[in-house]
Amino acid sequence: MRKYWFVFSIYWQEGLSQRASFFMERFRALVVLVSFYYFWSALLKDRTSFAGYNYSQMITYVLGMNILRGLVFASRTYEIAGEINHGRLSGYLLKPVNFCLYTFFRDLSEKSINLVSAIIEVSGLALLFHLKIQWPHQATSWLLFLLAITGATVLYFFLSFIVGCWGFWTAESGGPRFLLELILEFTAGAFFPLDVLPRAFQDILKLFPSPYLVFFPLHVFLEKLNTAQIINGFLMEGFWILALGGLAWLVWDKGVSAYGAEGS
Amino acid sequence: MAARPDEGSCYNKRMPIIEVSHLTKTFRVPQKTPGLTGALKGLFSRHYKEVQAVRDIAFSIAEGELVGFLGPNGAGKTTTLKMLSGLLHPTSGDARVLGYIPWKRERAFQKQFTMVMGQRTQLWWDLPAWDSFLLNKEIYEIPEAQFQETVKELADLLEIQDLLEVPVKKLSLGQRMKAELACSLLHRPKVLLLDEPTIGLDVLMQQKVREFVLAYNKRWKATVLLTSHNMDDVAELCPRVILINHGQLLFDGTLDQFRQKFEGKMLTEAMRAAFTATH
Repeated sequence: MRKYWFVFSIYWQEGLSQRASFFMERFRALVVLVSFYYFWSALLKDRTSFAGYNYSQMITYVLGMNILRGLVFASRTYEIAGEINHGRLSGYLLKPVNFCLYTFFRDLSEKSINLVSAIIEVSGLALLFHLKIQWPHQATSWLLFLLAITGATVLYFFLSFIVGCWGFWTAESGGPRFLLELILEFTAGAFFPLDVLPRAFQDILKLFPSPYLVFFPLHVFLEKLNTAQIINGFLMEGFWILALGGLAWLVWDKGVSAYGAEGS
Repeated sequence: MAARPDEGSCYNKRMPIIEVSHLTKTFRVPQKTPGLTGALKGLFSRHYKEVQAVRDIAFSIAEGELVGFLGPNGAGKTTTLKMLSGLLHPTSGDARVLGYIPWKRERAFQKQFTMVMGQRTQLWWDLPAWDSFLLNKEIYEIPEAQFQETVKELADLLEIQDLLEVPVKKLSLGQRMKAELACSLLHRPKVLLLDEPTIGLDVLMQQKVREFVLAYNKRWKATVLLTSHNMDDVAELCPRVILINHGQLLFDGTLDQFRQKFEGKMLTEAMRAAFTATH
């Protein structure tokens, strides 16, 4: 595993060497955070609650959502299709390295940079506006939250890796990725809590992997779920990790056999 | 000028390191009618054409041999090299490199060979070459002492000691190629597949790269298969040449045999004659 931790480290170095891109990206994240804060503050100004959330819970959701966007959705798997189409994948295939693990650690590097930055931004905003955050009352909630976000990170990686692998069969994987990201962020609860949606729609969504990326972990954090709902949530998250992990392996295996190494 | 290795005809008596038999690769290439109408038609129905890049070729290369793999553009050289490195699965036929089936991409195999593509770099653009070296050290699991020794040896041979801490994007093409070569050889591979290693380099730098390849070949008894459009590379480095055109093997023998066959013509002219004969 040492080699993969080195991959993690070298991408950190690269990330920090590209300062302009880094600060632009963080500025974008900050704009999103402040916009969401003002939107939900305005909505809850004359109410005690909205969709089952009091002000403190909603602010915690918005801030947590921003941190999880930095952790779960930060990824460099969008590079995979280009690496395939332009033959840069060859550089990895020639070496004794597992590409899936390599890209996972590359993602971890990206995620950790974004996570640290998001925590600093969110803390700054919370201090600046004296925001009241609703922390979990029980230690087990923290543990379950950590477990849920670990699962969410792996789940998103597999989803995103599969879409990247489309590059083996088409040069046009940009469209599907854009669509996936848009649908995922919407249905993951990365724009608003899914509770605001109609009940039937929520029930259908829970059968898909997306709610386990942001909505479920934040509900665990806010202690809004009973034991049965927590167990059910983890079972669904586990099922999707296994299913998408298996599919990622299958797609990669088929894709590499079809790889034309063009451009290299 | 680099000293030519002994022109031996005994290459087939030594242990074969690369063995190729009946190797064939066919690509399915999408066809598109030119213009906007063609693009619109292509949205709904796409036609494919089968292109045979490599047709039933066979050869064997022994340990320590330096072989020039020649042919015009589109002859099938790089496709063959890609199959031998495990990047491509063949349509049919068989190949063994160091006893391994390349496209199975076993770790033990990957640790013993390298492929250098003159138009590709594995070096990190924004970071010094040293960081890419460290990454390869971890990837190939090279022990620290061996790594330090190899880096020193390669850096001395290639005269790049002062360049290792400079970001790669600040290096000239020639300096980058030398750093690329060093990075590819840190794990002391037994087999070198070199695809146009001197492309784009000036005459002086080409000479240095050739001298280095020869020195590495002698130092480690490495087997080298080299493609190049630069006939000086072949004339100075390779006692044996394999000629390929339209995916088919045209000639496999020593450089002298090749020259005799074409009545003592210069290498470039002899090549031209060989390829013209196959049209």
